[in-house]
Amino acid sequence: MDEKRVALLKSLESKSADLLVQIQKEDNMKKKQKLIAEQQHVQRQVVKVRSNQKISKDTKKDLVAYSFIAPNFIGFAVFTLVPIVFAFILAFMNWDGSNEITLVGFDNFKKLFTDTFFIAALKNTIIYVIGTVPLTMVASLALAIVLNQKVIARGFFRTVSFFPYVASLVAITAVWSMIFHPSKGPVNYLLLTLFKVPQDQLPKWFSGTLVLFTLILFSVWKYMGYYMVIYLAGLQGISAELYEAAGLDGANTWQKFKYITWPQLRTTTFFVVVMLTINCFKVYDIAVMLAGGGDGKLSTSATVLVYYIYQNAFNYWDLGYSSAIAMVLFVLVLVVTMIQFKYEKNLD
Amino acid sequence: MKRKLISIMLTAVMMTSVLVGCGAKEEAAAPAADAPAATESAPAAEEAAPAAAEEAAAEPVTLTWAIWDEATTQYWGDIKAAYEAANPNVTIEMVDLGSQDYMTVLATELSGSGSDFDVVTIKDVPGYATLVSKNTLEPLDAYISEAGIDLAQYGGVDKQITIDGSLYELPFRNDFWVVFYNKDLFDAKGVPYPTNDMTFEEYDALARQVTDTTFGSQIYGTHYHTWRSAVQLFGVLDGKHSILDGTYDYFKPYYEMVLGQEDDQVCRNYADLSAEGLHYSAAFSGGDVAMMNQGSWFISTLMTNIASGEYDASLCGNWGLVKYPHAEGVEAGSTLGTITGLSVVAASDVKDAAFDFVEWVSGEEGAKVMASSGNFPALMTDDIAGMISGLEGFPTDAESKEALKVSNLYLEVPYAENVAEINNVLDTYHKSIMNREVSIDEGIASMNEEVGKILGQ
Repeated sequence: MDEKRVALLKSLESKSADLLVQIQKEDNMKKKQKLIAEQQHVQRQVVKVRSNQKISKDTKKDLVAYSFIAPNFIGFAVFTLVPIVFAFILAFMNWDGSNEITLVGFDNFKKLFTDTFFIAALKNTIIYVIGTVPLTMVASLALAIVLNQKVIARGFFRTVSFFPYVASLVAITAVWSMIFHPSKGPVNYLLLTLFKVPQDQLPKWFSGTLVLFTLILFSVWKYMGYYMVIYLAGLQGISAELYEAAGLDGANTWQKFKYITWPQLRTTTFFVVVMLTINCFKVYDIAVMLAGGGDGKLSTSATVLVYYIYQNAFNYWDLGYSSAIAMVLFVLVLVVTMIQFKYEKNLD
Repeated sequence: MKRKLISIMLTAVMMTSVLVGCGAKEEAAAPAADAPAATESAPAAEEAAPAAAEEAAAEPVTLTWAIWDEATTQYWGDIKAAYEAANPNVTIEMVDLGSQDYMTVLATELSGSGSDFDVVTIKDVPGYATLVSKNTLEPLDAYISEAGIDLAQYGGVDKQITIDGSLYELPFRNDFWVVFYNKDLFDAKGVPYPTNDMTFEEYDALARQVTDTTFGSQIYGTHYHTWRSAVQLFGVLDGKHSILDGTYDYFKPYYEMVLGQEDDQVCRNYADLSAEGLHYSAAFSGGDVAMMNQGSWFISTLMTNIASGEYDASLCGNWGLVKYPHAEGVEAGSTLGTITGLSVVAASDVKDAAFDFVEWVSGEEGAKVMASSGNFPALMTDDIAGMISGLEGFPTDAESKEALKVSNLYLEVPYAENVAEINNVLDTYHKSIMNREVSIDEGIASMNEEVGKILGQ
């Protein structure tokens, strides 16, 4: 052992001893954990220096683990991470995909505040999310509870509820445009004949303020089957003993739901709400298919953020501005999700 | 420590991505700037090019050409066959990008460095503006003057697509809007046919005359496709206005006319059309539309589909066409036009051969090939007009033949730098007005405001 290593070993050992003393003194659990981790780290270094290894055992273990995740991570990095980071940088640039990239600082973000179409898209997206998320959650939970009972043809009804989710979007939007056709659709026909709505006041389901309502209705119908399956899994995870015990204590159905089902499903609900929120912020295909008319273009009453991002990127080739809008969408989703996580954590 | 490692890796990935991004871009800029140098470096092919055509004949050249809807459009194949017959050394390879998002797909294909395409078809002016601002197209001025092409033969449309004094495409197809009508429906009602010289008042009155609102046997006097051009652009026919103006109050009388017709069931209503996605060809061939304003491209569609039995000849077989209606005091025959052009890709390594093809297609020979299948070439002469009106299936009356004579042609979308954005603003509020989400005045006020913002930038 040369002198250098001896000196290093000594300093490490004394550091480790210091840390041990500190750990014993520390009362705060969090700080204590941190110190313990640090002490272990120092200890590992001691072992490393003593045994004269170039790569410590731990590093070796890490490398093996990294090599296992590498195939997936490389794909993720090339096709997802790099583009995301690039988009983030682009938001501060001006680029049309071919010519020089120029730095514009916050100009792209400043432009957002005066852009009528962006404001309309932001407003519509938020209304859509606020409308769709709770409704879908409630509908899918109700469906799951009903179809978790021993009802006749349970399997059939489960399939029926799941069907909209797996059916092709193009096909089901075509059916919806027929059902809600402003002058020939059965819905308006019922309104006309049964509810005596005058012909010139029949609702136009795909334009004006109603279009968002139609979009929300459609999305709830389409998504509830999928989240029903998740809720069903959650329901089946609840121990029957709990209900038995509650029954013995004389709890009624509502009380059972309130004190057993709902609290037991909390993690499932959390997952459902987070996934739904993220999915709803990304809405694009449903809006274009239902409200796009013949040319797939959305007017200000139906435009959504992702549509406007696409339009700026591939119609106007203003990639910087479109990245800036994408960043707004990203921050929006991030903030909402973080609030949800925070809330979930506080409940613990 | 582990965290540090990960963050170092992430930083490395970011850095490389930035570097790679910049690197690719520089490469993209290089060939455009050093085009002559690049051509020098390609030895065999380029030595032949400056020399006479017969020398080039020895060199086999393959040109890759971007088009749309090969299966349903006859002339792509006709042009390829005719050009290859005239130039045995050249092979044309067509790449079909589909018509729906053609210009978007094309712009994506041409982004970044290099391209597989040598010649691309330009479908509309907003897309043309985009491609030019992306520096992906070759300016053709030098080639045009070298080949001695007289641009006057295009009747002035070339001026509407000239950008800062340079031309980046040569038009080979030039469609203009006419009014198609169904003679049987006029005969049944005993109403006289529309004429080549109608004012909008006469047109409106005629449409109302031929309309039948009886449930079950409705006849619609007119039909307007959901495009904004079908309604708004009646306003630009006086030659005093253009969609690049920034103020659109001149649209108002035409919106009033069309919405008034909707109210009286003279035409199908927009909300229905939009929900159904009804195509104009289905509307006209259904036999319940008396008049429809549409582009001249519909002539060849009608002729082929009636001949093949695709459309029921008893419903729409007896059709005719007349010139566009016009405002009071405007010359009859003023109409809207749309040109389709060919461009040479800046990144192509066989630009001379590519331009030769562009020149051929947009010239006399190409025009004849286009006309033989009932399409309107940009190079319109009396001979060629005669060829089309002489085709099997073209209406035989003199009025229909006369209707092909255009006095003033205004492009649906003339060139401007921000034309793609202006176009989208007008589309959006056209939708809002036609869906009656806003009143005509509010819609027009929004158009003025939003386009004003774009122009003010």
